Amino acid sequence: MSVSVNDNSAKVSVRGFLAKYSVLIAFAAIVIFFAVATPTFLTPANLFNVLVNNVVMLAIVALGLTIVISSGGIDLSVGVSVDMASMIFVMLLAAGYSGVVGVAGGLGAALIVGVLNAILITRLNISPFLATLGVLFIGQSTQQLATSGGQPIYLTSGYAADQFNAIARTALFGAPTPVIVLIVLVVAVHVLLHRSVFGRYVQAMGAQPGVAWYSGIRVPRELSMVHVLCALLAGVTGILLSATVKSYVPLSGNAFLLDAIGATFIGTTLSRERKPSVIGTLLGVLLLAIVKNGLLLVGWNFYWQQVGIGVLVFLVLAASFGLRRAAH
Amino acid sequence: MSATVLHAEVGVSDEKQAAAKSAGRRFGALVVRLGAIAAFAAIMAYFVIFAPGFTSTFNLINVVEQSAILGVLAYGMTAVIIGGGSDVTEGGIDLSIAANMGLCAAVYATLLSMGYGDFLSVLAAVAVGMAVGALNALAVVGLGILPLLATLAVLNVAAGMELTLTQNTVVGASSPLLGVLVSGSSLGISALAWALIVFSAIMIVLVHGTSFGLRLYAVGGHPEAARAAGIGVPFYVSFTYMLSGFCAAVASILTVSRLSASTPGSGELLLSVLAAALLGTVFSRRFVPTMGGTLLSVLFIGLLANGFQLLNVSSYWVNGVQGALILLVVAITSFARGSEGSR
Repeated sequence: MSVSVNDNSAKVSVRGFLAKYSVLIAFAAIVIFFAVATPTFLTPANLFNVLVNNVVMLAIVALGLTIVISSGGIDLSVGVSVDMASMIFVMLLAAGYSGVVGVAGGLGAALIVGVLNAILITRLNISPFLATLGVLFIGQSTQQLATSGGQPIYLTSGYAADQFNAIARTALFGAPTPVIVLIVLVVAVHVLLHRSVFGRYVQAMGAQPGVAWYSGIRVPRELSMVHVLCALLAGVTGILLSATVKSYVPLSGNAFLLDAIGATFIGTTLSRERKPSVIGTLLGVLLLAIVKNGLLLVGWNFYWQQVGIGVLVFLVLAASFGLRRAAH
Repeated sequence: MSATVLHAEVGVSDEKQAAAKSAGRRFGALVVRLGAIAAFAAIMAYFVIFAPGFTSTFNLINVVEQSAILGVLAYGMTAVIIGGGSDVTEGGIDLSIAANMGLCAAVYATLLSMGYGDFLSVLAAVAVGMAVGALNALAVVGLGILPLLATLAVLNVAAGMELTLTQNTVVGASSPLLGVLVSGSSLGISALAWALIVFSAIMIVLVHGTSFGLRLYAVGGHPEAARAAGIGVPFYVSFTYMLSGFCAAVASILTVSRLSASTPGSGELLLSVLAAALLGTVFSRRFVPTMGGTLLSVLFIGLLANGFQLLNVSSYWVNGVQGALILLVVAITSFARGSEGSR
């Protein structure tokens, strides 16, 4: 439909602008609100606490999902990758192995989950949704069988605890290791997804799978890579999580799934074509983390926090999707 | 979706070959469908022979009872998938359905424990369930938010409200209606089993026996074509989310009757509901979600858990075997569909 009056087109572009930046605007508004509402929110100590406790783990899982969702798929089994890495890592340390062996074992476990997903999706032609749903179920059973129904493993003292501290509490350049790991991974995934040939293939598969195939992209190989990377990133989270809480709690990884999907898709509102991006995903993670922390500081209990987050995410999405629809 | 495009191109280049191919594919599809049913039958036969008491009327009715809650929820999910299309990230899905059931159960049990009668409490539970459904409909149809995302946000709202209402505790409940559901029976079939049978009959007739149901498939299969044919697409899609909310409310009353209480943690049912609705597609000729297929897969999941229990296999195995079976069935299905059906 052509717009003949200048005034009108200006209005439309304002709407488009609002739609594009609604998440950023909401983010800024929320930060300002909590800064005014609570004296502690904008203190370095609190922001650091948010970063370490609410952002790092979720962000790494969400990075993995960002790659998968860019490729047009989904990975419902990220929680299993988190859990399996955490389980093998903690079990190896409990058996007296060093932290290095534990980390390698943990990443190996996550790798197996990723390879399994890749085989199911690329060799057996199962849709990513169903394949990873099946792996999720199998992963849950595996953990229950390995831990007599879900007994947690705590290693709060001794050699293993020292190894945990070496991983989670060592400061590098003045920041704890998990934060450094996150920064490195963010840069790496950003370059991989937005600046590399592999990233262009992934975006192409996500946008036009048929065309990608006809263009000579080796879709199965690239898709396998996508799912293995996602599982490995989730595995990193599992290891950092275990090292931080000095334990393995079965089936705890699933808690990341819905938040990570939410964060990734909130990030897609930044782009006109609704493509996931590393920056967008980080913004989504920060938004969720800050709302959680802010509501806690304002004095809402855990139950109301969940309602608050749901309502807020709903409103942000409504603004973004609704305004964009109006702009077209 | 890409498969259709490829078929079309193949058809242009060599029609005869394409016809032969599609005939072969139809044959393959038949084999798969029969294969899935045969696998179903083989597992059942194993249980019949080796699991003590598996075929007793008491046990079978017990399975139907246990399946009632999952079944009612899975019907809601199936309706949403039919009306929204089965695309993974953009199609219809209701992630909030299990959390919605938890919220409705909390409302129902809380009102009963406050001394309100069955009528008001049931009414309130249904109102809450459908309100959550309306919120989903508003988000998906009114605002154009991706169903996956919209229902994810609503999931958080519903789960949070349930926790706020019950403070994460068990709320005991008893009422005449619950009494009937627990101990009532007719023709030797218990009330809960009747609930599933009647609900199934209604859903199957609604979706597969009326022009309404036919239009619903049209809306999900090809929204633009449906719109061009004069079907009010927004109404149909909204309806599926409201229906899903209604199903959540019905399931909440069944779950309160089974446990004599509303209990936290109902959100965990979500994955089983999804599995049941998606697994059901193998029982249809064209691998589309159907109410009958959903019923079969719900009963299958119920019988599987029950057979394992009777064989004294640890319940820890049930999830894994269920997952492996989903993968097996879907792998065979996509094999029969041909190599292009990777999406």
